[in-house]
Amino acid sequence: VLPRVVRLFLQYALVLLAAITLNFLLPRMAPGDVVDYLLPPEDAGALTEEQRIEFLGRYGLDEPMHVQYREYVTGLARGDMLLSARYTRPVRDLVLERLPWTLLLVGTSTILAIVIGTAAGFRSAFRRGRATDVSTMSGFMLIDAMPPFFVALLLMLVFSVHLGIFPVYGAIPTVPAEGLELVLGVAQRLALPATALTLAMLGTMYLVARPALVSELREDYVLMAQAKGLPRRKVRRHAARNALLPVSTIALINLGNMVGGATVIETVFSYPGLGRLIYESVLSRDYPVLQGAFFILAVTVILANLVADLLYPLLDPRVRQPLTTRSVGA
Amino acid sequence: MVRRLVVAVMALGLAGGLLASPAALADDEGASTERLTVAFNAFENNLTPFTLSMQALPNTPDLVHLVYDALFWSQASAEPRPMLAESAEPSEDFSSWTIELREGVTWHDGEPFTADDVAFTYRYFTDVHPMGRFAHHVYDIPPFSDAEVIDEHTVVLNFDAPAPTFLLLPGGDVPIVPEHIWEDIEDPGAETEMLPVGTGPFELVDIEPDQLYRFEANEDYFLGRPTVDELVLPIVEDPSSVFAALQTGELDSAVHPVPPELVDDFEDHDEIEIAQSTRMESVILYFNVRDEPQSDPAVRKALALAIDRDEIVDTVMQGHAVPGRDTFTHPESIWATDDPVQDVDPERADELLEEAGYELGDDGVRVSPDGDPVEIEVLVSSFAPQHIRAMQLAAEHAQEIGIELAVETLDPATIADRRSPNGPDDSPDVDAYIRAMEAHMHADPDAMIHFFGTPQPGRPGGGLTGYANPEFDELAEQAAVETDEEARLEMIHDLQAMFAQEVPAIILYHPDGLYAYRPAAYDGWVEDPGHGIFNKLSFLPGGQEAAEGLDEQTAEEAAEPIPEQDGIDAGEETAAGTPWLWIAGGVLLAVLLLVLLFLRGRAREEVYE
Repeated sequence: VLPRVVRLFLQYALVLLAAITLNFLLPRMAPGDVVDYLLPPEDAGALTEEQRIEFLGRYGLDEPMHVQYREYVTGLARGDMLLSARYTRPVRDLVLERLPWTLLLVGTSTILAIVIGTAAGFRSAFRRGRATDVSTMSGFMLIDAMPPFFVALLLMLVFSVHLGIFPVYGAIPTVPAEGLELVLGVAQRLALPATALTLAMLGTMYLVARPALVSELREDYVLMAQAKGLPRRKVRRHAARNALLPVSTIALINLGNMVGGATVIETVFSYPGLGRLIYESVLSRDYPVLQGAFFILAVTVILANLVADLLYPLLDPRVRQPLTTRSVGA
Repeated sequence: MVRRLVVAVMALGLAGGLLASPAALADDEGASTERLTVAFNAFENNLTPFTLSMQALPNTPDLVHLVYDALFWSQASAEPRPMLAESAEPSEDFSSWTIELREGVTWHDGEPFTADDVAFTYRYFTDVHPMGRFAHHVYDIPPFSDAEVIDEHTVVLNFDAPAPTFLLLPGGDVPIVPEHIWEDIEDPGAETEMLPVGTGPFELVDIEPDQLYRFEANEDYFLGRPTVDELVLPIVEDPSSVFAALQTGELDSAVHPVPPELVDDFEDHDEIEIAQSTRMESVILYFNVRDEPQSDPAVRKALALAIDRDEIVDTVMQGHAVPGRDTFTHPESIWATDDPVQDVDPERADELLEEAGYELGDDGVRVSPDGDPVEIEVLVSSFAPQHIRAMQLAAEHAQEIGIELAVETLDPATIADRRSPNGPDDSPDVDAYIRAMEAHMHADPDAMIHFFGTPQPGRPGGGLTGYANPEFDELAEQAAVETDEEARLEMIHDLQAMFAQEVPAIILYHPDGLYAYRPAAYDGWVEDPGHGIFNKLSFLPGGQEAAEGLDEQTAEEAAEPIPEQDGIDAGEETAAGTPWLWIAGGVLLAVLLLVLLFLRGRAREEVYE
C-alpha cells in the first residue's frame, strides 16, 4: 500500500497529464485555423497547399498530430514553447509578461474577497434570522447576481468618469515613473479592477461562510461549551475555526476560476492579464498561446486543489491520519 | 480594522452619491503638445514592417508611418506628396522609374539615408520577406525586377510590367527600411524585440507589450520638427473604456471611430470635439457566386435593387455614413464614377426575378426554376453590431421581393474559416458574408482584378467571391498597365459598370470616419481622406495649415441633428453617461451602503437560540 501523500501526488500527476492532453486537443477541434484568421480570405484562399504548409510551419502547425503532440509535451518539459501565431514572439515571453499582472490583480482580489466575504458571512451567521442577517444576505446575493462587466462599467462610471479618482485604463502610468511614484501609479490603476473582481467573488465567499458557521453553531460541542459557561467569545472562536474548513477549500478551488473570470474585467480596464490574452487568442485561434496559457491555468488549478488537499488535515484534526498508513476516506 | 474599512468605503460611497458634476482626472497628464496621449487599438509588436501582428488594422499602416517614411504620401491621394523622394520620372513605357531622393535625411540612429536603402528595401521585400501587408505591392503588382543605384541620391526601380500607378502603390505605401540594420538579418519576421530605426517624424523609445508605445519627436525630421514632443499610445481595446477615458481627460484622442449613437453625447461635451476624416472604408456584402441561388446574377441584381442603403445609413449609422453604390468605389476615391446614388426599385427587382423564372411561393419566399427556395445565409461577425443591424434591415428589404436573407452571427475566426476556399476550384461553405474593407481598395485600381478577377493560382483575391468573367479579367489587366491616364480611367469606369451589372458584391455603406479629440490638448489634427485623423500629417508643422478650418466645419457637419429612429437603440453598453446607468449606479451604491451599515452593526447581539 502506497503512502497517502504518494498516492495523492500520483492522482494529481494523472489529472495534470489529462489536462495537458485536453489542452492540446481542444483548440484544434474548433473550426478555423490560424492561416484563415491572419491572412485575409482573398490571400488565404489563393495560397497553394505548399505555401499554406510553409506558413503553418512557422508555428509548428504543419506536422502530423502525434508529432505536434510530442513536440508540445517535450517543449513543456524543456520549459520552452512555440511562437505565438499572432505576435511571432515566444509564447513563454507573452505569458510571463502577463502573469505578474494577473497574480497582482487576482491575488489582491482573492485576499480581499476571502477576508471581507468570510467576515461578513460569519457576522451574518452569528445574527442568523435577524433583520441584519436577512438584509446583508440579500445585499450579497444581489452583488453576486450582477454580471462582472456591469459592475466594472459602473465602477468606471462612478469613480473615473464622474469623480475622477481612478484612471480608466492600463496597469502602469502613461508617464514614465520610478520608485514610489511607480508603485502609487500601479496601485491607483489596480484599485478599480481589483474592486470589481473582489465584488465578483465576494458573494460566493459569503454564501459559503455563512451556512458553514450556521451549521457549526448547531453542533453539540457548541451547546456543551455554552453549558460549561465558556465566554461567548471563546465559543464563537471554536465554531468559527471549524467553519473555516469549507471556506478555505472553496477559496482555493475558486482561484483557478478567478484567473479565467478576470477576462471581462481585464478587458474593460485594459489590464494586461492572462485572461485577456486567452480571450484574444481564442478569437484568433492562436493555438500556441492557448496551449501555453491554459497550461499555466491548469497547473494553477491543480496546484490549488493539491494545496487544499494537503491543508485539510492540518486545519482539521479529525481527518488527520497517520500519513503512512490508511487512506483518508475510511 | 473591518470597521475602519467599512467607514472608508461608506465615505467613498456617500461622496459618489453627493457629487453631481464630472471631474477631470489627471490634468497633469498629456494636457499639452509636450505630451499627447492617443488610445491605440491593438499591439503591433515593435512596428517594423516585418513583425507587425496586423491586429490593429485598419490603423496599422498609419502607426508604422510614424516611424518610417515611404517615397511618397499617401496611396489614397490624387497627387501623392513627395516624402523621401523629391521626384520620380517614369520611362516611356512606365516600367522603370527614376527617383531623385531628398538629401540630408538621416536615420534615427544618425546614419545617412541613401539610394542604397531604397534599392535594398525593394529587394528585401521581394527576396527575403515577400509577406505581409506591404510586400505584395512590390513583388506582385507591379512586379519588381531590380534596382540600380545611380548615385547617392538617385535610384532606378525596374518592373517586369508597366507600373503607371507607381507613385501611389508601392510608392505611397511601402516603408523604406535601413540597409545597415537589416542587411544581415535573414528572418526579419523573428526580430520582434529591437526598437525600430526609421526616418519618420517619431522615434519609438519604449514598448510595454500590450500596454503602450512611447514615441519621441525626431528633432531632425526633414519636414520640420514634429508638433508633439512626446506621443504616448496606450493600447485600449474596449471602446467604452476609450470613450470614458476621453471624458476624464486621460486620453487626448483615440484611433477608435466614434460610434454613431455616441456622436451627440460628444457634441454636447464642452471639452471634446469631433473631426471627420474618411478612411474610405466599405462595409460589403460578398456573395459566394459559385453556389445557388446567389450564382444567378438576376438574384444578386434584384437584391441590389431592393436593399435600401439610404435607409441603412439613416437608421443604423444615424446618418454618419455614405451609402454604398453599385459601382463599387467610394465617391471620394480618385477612381470614382460620377453616377448618382443607386435607386431603390423593388418593382424592378420583382420583374427581374419573374423574368428569370422565380415564382412566389406560398410562404412568401420565391422558388427557383429548379424548385428550390431562394434562401441566402449571410454570415456576420458577432463583434460588429452595426453590421448585424444593417443586415437585419437588408433582410427586411429582401423579404419584400421574396428573397430570404438569413442572418447568422458567428465569431470572426469561424467566419474566416467558412469563407476561405481550399484552392482555386473549391467553393467554400458559405452563401454570403459581411466584411469591412480598408481604403486600399479605393486607392488601387488594380484592386478590381485583385479581388474580383477569376480565381487562379498566383492571383490572390479571387477567392473572395469566386466571381469569374473573362471579359472583366481582360479589361482589368489592360487597365493595370495602361499608361495613358485618361484611357485608364475610362477602363476603370467600364470595369465598375460591369461590376454594377453583375453584382458579385453589394456595397452597403462607407462609414464617415468620426474621431473624437480634446482640442485643449492638441488641435493640429489633419483631415486626410483614406486615413483617420491619426496620420503622420497631423504631427507635421506643415500639416497644421492644412488642418485649418477643419474643426469648425466638420464639427458642424457632425453635429447635424439626427432623426429619432424606432427599433434601433444604443445596443452597446457605452460609458457615455446613459441615464439608466446612473440610476443603476445609485441603486448599487445604496445597496452597498445598506449592507455596510448592517455589517457595521449595532451593539453585539446574542447568537444562541
